[in-house]
Amino acid sequence: MNNMHTTPSPAPPQIQSAVPSAATGPRPLGDEPAEREPIPGFVTAIESILRQPRRVMFQLRQPGGGKLIAAMLLVAVVCSLIYGVVVGSFSGGTQWWAAPVKVSAGLLISALICLPSLYIFACLSGSQARLAEIFGLVTGLLMLMTILLIGFAPVAWLFSQSTGSVAWMGALHLLFWFVSTAFGLRFLEQGFCHTNARSVAGLRTWVIIFVLVVLQMTTALRPLVGTADTFLPKVKIFFVNHWVKCLR
Amino acid sequence: MQAQSAELGRREISVLLRGEPETINAWIEHWTARRLLWCVSVIFAGAGLYGAAMGWWRAPVQALFVAIKFPLIILLTTLGNALLNAMLAPLLGLNISFRQSFLAILMSFTMAAAILGSFSPLAAFVVWNAPPMSPDVRLSGGTYSFIQLMHVGVIAFAGVVANVRLVQLLRRLSGSASVARRVLLAWLAGNLFLGSQLSWILRPFIGSPALPVEFLRPTAFQGNFYETVFRSVLRLFTVE
Repeated sequence: MNNMHTTPSPAPPQIQSAVPSAATGPRPLGDEPAEREPIPGFVTAIESILRQPRRVMFQLRQPGGGKLIAAMLLVAVVCSLIYGVVVGSFSGGTQWWAAPVKVSAGLLISALICLPSLYIFACLSGSQARLAEIFGLVTGLLMLMTILLIGFAPVAWLFSQSTGSVAWMGALHLLFWFVSTAFGLRFLEQGFCHTNARSVAGLRTWVIIFVLVVLQMTTALRPLVGTADTFLPKVKIFFVNHWVKCLR
Repeated sequence: MQAQSAELGRREISVLLRGEPETINAWIEHWTARRLLWCVSVIFAGAGLYGAAMGWWRAPVQALFVAIKFPLIILLTTLGNALLNAMLAPLLGLNISFRQSFLAILMSFTMAAAILGSFSPLAAFVVWNAPPMSPDVRLSGGTYSFIQLMHVGVIAFAGVVANVRLVQLLRRLSGSASVARRVLLAWLAGNLFLGSQLSWILRPFIGSPALPVEFLRPTAFQGNFYETVFRSVLRLFTVE
């Protein structure tokens, strides 16, 4: 016997679309409680940038962001000085102090030279980030780059003590620098995506400019590996020409 | 107070660069002397810094001269063509007042100057890394061409971005993409025509090692840019 009182048929099951509906964008910063915890000191800053980069990005936007930026900058300077000592250990002599000074100053000056154009590219991309936040992301890039260089330092030191080839050591330091910079730039790009930027094309252009500036800075401040009569070179040369000369 | 003012100025630059249409439209509608002064300041600062980077390769004094001349070209072009641009706009279908057309163009130049200013450290870095300018073409000819092309590239980038934002603003004011394009092209033609002659008069910018460092060449007001280009083209086709 049919049931006269039919129950409404259940709604048809939703068919999952094979194509994801509109891009949802990155998860907003600070949506996890751990990200909202302030970063009090240097050690926490180092741990956070390695394990919780979103926490660093979130804290850069908070009222105490200036202190975090100062801490990251100090860590970057100290780490670059330490790595500079490793670089200088290849030649010894005046390079014990000249190389750390050049590595540290070169990185900072390169970042400062490129910072205004990064802010412009950010604005052109629709980013709502203030200059302070962009500066904070750049110091995060420098800090992550230099602490990774510290990680490579024992390997670099070992090779410095066991080879006499300037070209080989220069290439090795460049390789370590490229790898460290790649991670630093990944942090910068992730932070950039959280600033409401509509496109990363401007950032990618800036990355090319930044890499070229740092590479040219290594030549402008030469020698970093090897020795010379003067602190800075008397002859100006493009970095590619310098590398070709070193390889011959 | 000064820090607040600097922060406000930076925010206005970022609004301009993002091309926020409602805000910029509101600025054009309700203009203030403070904002006008701010635009002129950004033009002097941004174009001035880039001009200094341009002239520095020849000599520090040349840097100072170009730091003055580059913003002057921008402001004189804006002022010189203000009436013409204001008349062309309604004739081409964009019914805006003299003040609106003047302010729209001034803001696009402000944007370009801000971009140039941000690239001035990079330009200065390239110049710092370049060998000193030499009268011997073999020594510095390639470097001169590279630096010249770099300046052209940066100025072109700043100009393109500023004009993209300007056409977006014109589109919003007119409600029509084709009207906005016509007005932009007309303004560009006039500004390029006047601007190139002003650049000719106010030369040198990068400078030449064979010539002294001067604010203006003695022949500044003799001949013009187009006449010189025409003569160069004639020389190419004249077989002696």
